[in-house]
Amino acid sequence: MSNEQSNLEQSQHPHEITNRQADSLGMLLHRMINRIRQSLELSVILSGTTAEVRSFLGTDRVKIYQFKADGSGEVVAESICDRNLPSLLGQNFPAEDIPLEMRQLYRQERQRTIVNVAAKQIGMSALVNERDSEYIQFRTVDPCHAEYLTAMGVKSSLVVPIMDDHNLWGLLVSHHSSPRVVTERELEVVQLVADQTSIAIAQSNLLESTRTQAKQEASINQVGRSLHSMTPMQLRQALQQAVTALQGSGGRIYIAPQNSDTEAQLYVSGEQPVLLSKGKKTTAAIPLEEHPNWRTWFKKAMQAEGEIQPWAIGYASPKGIAESNANLLPSNLERAFKPTNIKSILTIRLEHRQQILGYLSIFRQGVDIETIWAKRPDRDDPRNQFPRQSFETWRELQQNKARQWESREIELAQTLGSHFAIAIFQYQMYRQICTLNTSLEQRVAERTTELQQTNQQLIQEISDRLKTRDSLERLSHQNELILNSAGEGIYGLNLEGITTFVNPATAEMLGYSINELQSKAMHKMVKHSTAEGIVYSWQDNPIYQTIHTGEVHHVTNEVFWRKDKSHFPVEYVSTPIKEKEEIVGAVVIFKDITERQIIDRMKDEFISVVSHELRTPLTSIRSAIAVLSSSGLDPTSSKSQRLLEIALDNSNRLVRLINDILDLERIKSGRVAMVKGSYDATEVMTDAVEIMQSIADKAQIQLSIQPLSIQVWIDRDRIIQTLTNIINNAIKFSPPHTSVEIAAQLIGDDLVRFQVKDSGRGIPLENLETIFDRFQQVDASDSRDQGGTGLGLAICRSIIQQHGGQIWVESTLGKGSTFYFTLPISR
Amino acid sequence: MNKKILIIDDDDDIREATQLCLEIVGNWQIVTANSGRMGLVEAIAEQPDLILLDVMMPDMDGLETLKELQANTSTKNIPVMFLTAKAHPAEQRQFTRLQVSGVITKPYDPFELSNRIAQVLS
Repeated sequence: MSNEQSNLEQSQHPHEITNRQADSLGMLLHRMINRIRQSLELSVILSGTTAEVRSFLGTDRVKIYQFKADGSGEVVAESICDRNLPSLLGQNFPAEDIPLEMRQLYRQERQRTIVNVAAKQIGMSALVNERDSEYIQFRTVDPCHAEYLTAMGVKSSLVVPIMDDHNLWGLLVSHHSSPRVVTERELEVVQLVADQTSIAIAQSNLLESTRTQAKQEASINQVGRSLHSMTPMQLRQALQQAVTALQGSGGRIYIAPQNSDTEAQLYVSGEQPVLLSKGKKTTAAIPLEEHPNWRTWFKKAMQAEGEIQPWAIGYASPKGIAESNANLLPSNLERAFKPTNIKSILTIRLEHRQQILGYLSIFRQGVDIETIWAKRPDRDDPRNQFPRQSFETWRELQQNKARQWESREIELAQTLGSHFAIAIFQYQMYRQICTLNTSLEQRVAERTTELQQTNQQLIQEISDRLKTRDSLERLSHQNELILNSAGEGIYGLNLEGITTFVNPATAEMLGYSINELQSKAMHKMVKHSTAEGIVYSWQDNPIYQTIHTGEVHHVTNEVFWRKDKSHFPVEYVSTPIKEKEEIVGAVVIFKDITERQIIDRMKDEFISVVSHELRTPLTSIRSAIAVLSSSGLDPTSSKSQRLLEIALDNSNRLVRLINDILDLERIKSGRVAMVKGSYDATEVMTDAVEIMQSIADKAQIQLSIQPLSIQVWIDRDRIIQTLTNIINNAIKFSPPHTSVEIAAQLIGDDLVRFQVKDSGRGIPLENLETIFDRFQQVDASDSRDQGGTGLGLAICRSIIQQHGGQIWVESTLGKGSTFYFTLPISR
Repeated sequence: MNKKILIIDDDDDIREATQLCLEIVGNWQIVTANSGRMGLVEAIAEQPDLILLDVMMPDMDGLETLKELQANTSTKNIPVMFLTAKAHPAEQRQFTRLQVSGVITKPYDPFELSNRIAQVLS
């Protein structure tokens, strides 16, 4: 207690608070509060504070000392009476000048110290407990402390901590070059000032923080505008803005390839690292971010980082200036930075939605840091273990030093990185959408083209199919018409001999309906038989062979049976039906050859008759000549003469016969053209009569004409041939002293009917039609007797038919015959 | 006594030429008929040693005449040779089934005819 009393007394020494001081205290506080309120600039406030406090205390020097992170500090504001103490403004003091223990007391206990060097006393007043805030406990000052102050020329000091929240921001220090007692009141006032200063610092920090935040937000907004407001994305511009916002010297954005089809994109600003590989510059080919060592380092650095956010990497390469928390690059990557002025990088991994998009790197060049120390530190001097004896200032200059990335800068970089990541993600999405759109449009175009082509092909195909269908329908219709119109029977069979189609002619010839023949075993229906009518088995049938061997069979000597059990001779061809070289059945084409057989028979008969008619005169000729030439018969004998006559007569007969045969065939075939003209009917009849007159006279037959003056359209010679032939027959078969009458008569408007009437023996009724056929004389011997060939009337009929007329005969046995023929009149 | 041959043919020239030839070459006695019917009459009346019968004749042809000759007891044993202008093998085949002594195709060689007649007569 006595000690406390002593201290109190000592503190009240000559510097008791006077009334003037009391009055000015209120003013001081008032001015300080106003100054803090009026100004937000901390330097102004601090400067004003020191001035006001010195004015209040009347000491030689009042300074504000600000601590740095490493414990050192700098005099940031000062008010002095330079006659007594030198200025320390701007000077730095090493951390050991105010030991850590003392700094902790300042912070934790809010300890205030009052040193009276002369009295070798130090007063300590803790402010933790407000109840004891005005209590000052005095004790003997540490000698080194006293020495330190003495070295500074200080005899009396007052130190009050300035807090920033719960952190020790700095100290408000009053020095006086002569001994001075500090009263509790003064301590209280200075404490009030320090508190106000703390408020000012807090406000200033808040202001600075607000300013920084505003600036960062402005930077973010600026970068964001570049990233999001511009189309296409202006990454390089945004990068430049980010570099500026982060006070970098350059930077780069590496956008990783999205897939194997795309390439990485690199946007750069300012100076760039040069990655050397095998002595060649390969920066364009191998971006730094793709180097495996870089990636390993980055991953390791992220894991190793403590307080620094994992996406922020501090970097300092040159030895000696590496930061304590710097991540050293692998040496091969470090080489990339050596040629440059880049001393630190901050790399942000650009991530969005768990997708790594790339990296944003900001580079900083080295900076020169100048520090004014109150004393040149010489760590080798053992005296440094002792209080400073001199405060001669010493200027320390650190050149090209890597600047530390501050947390706010890292936060800003993180925010910018997020914007970059979002923008890049959106841009990639936009590109993908554009690509998809382009691809979609291209695909739509291609698909449209394909569809158009397909459409064209379809149209063409439909057109072709329609044409084909039309063709098929036409073909089918034609086939149907052909099948329906064909005179031949046509039917199809499958492999079992069952009908698959039947044409109407088949049904008609067989006496069935088509339905009755459909899907039937045709062999059983037609009962294939030999020419003699003997039915044989299906397996022996040529059609069966066709179906099973594919051979085409032409059969001409079979008969088919009709539904009414009658039969008829047929000729048929069986042809295999093939599909893709495989036999699926047969088609049979057959025809009824009844008429053809009759014609063939008639032809055979005709040939036989012709043969007979030719051989008959030849027989006489050959016999006569053979005997005359080889028998030694006297050529002058009557038998020889007779044989010669027979041979000659039959030679002539043979010539006539051959002429008539040829003539008939030529007329019938039309090879002899009728040379028609307009001739008077009477003249034609007269000409014919004149030709036959001598024969008639010889037969004692009278020829008479009943004239008709009318023009007929005829081949005159051929009609005269016809008339003479008929008149000749009439003469031949008429008894002597009878007459043959030749007449003509107009029939209707356009025909003239000629007639030759005799009074001969007449023609049997059954011969009236056949006598106009070849070699169909009523009596051949009669004919030959009369020198006929048996072809005369056949020739006449052919001539009349070539004129479009008709020829016929009416006859009564024993009374005579009348031959008629008609010819067209001339118009 | 010369053999007698009856020629039945409707063609006058053939009948006469054949007669002259056979008379000259074979020195046979010849009788003729110009139809089948007349041939039957002559055959019955003359009883020839051989009959030359034309096949193709009006009214009664050679086949019918042959049938009549073979039906008549007085003529059925008289050998008959056909004279025919039908040279087609199919036509000639029908004669082989008939009981005739030969078939001579017109136009025939009178010496060949005579040889064939002589063979039949011998």
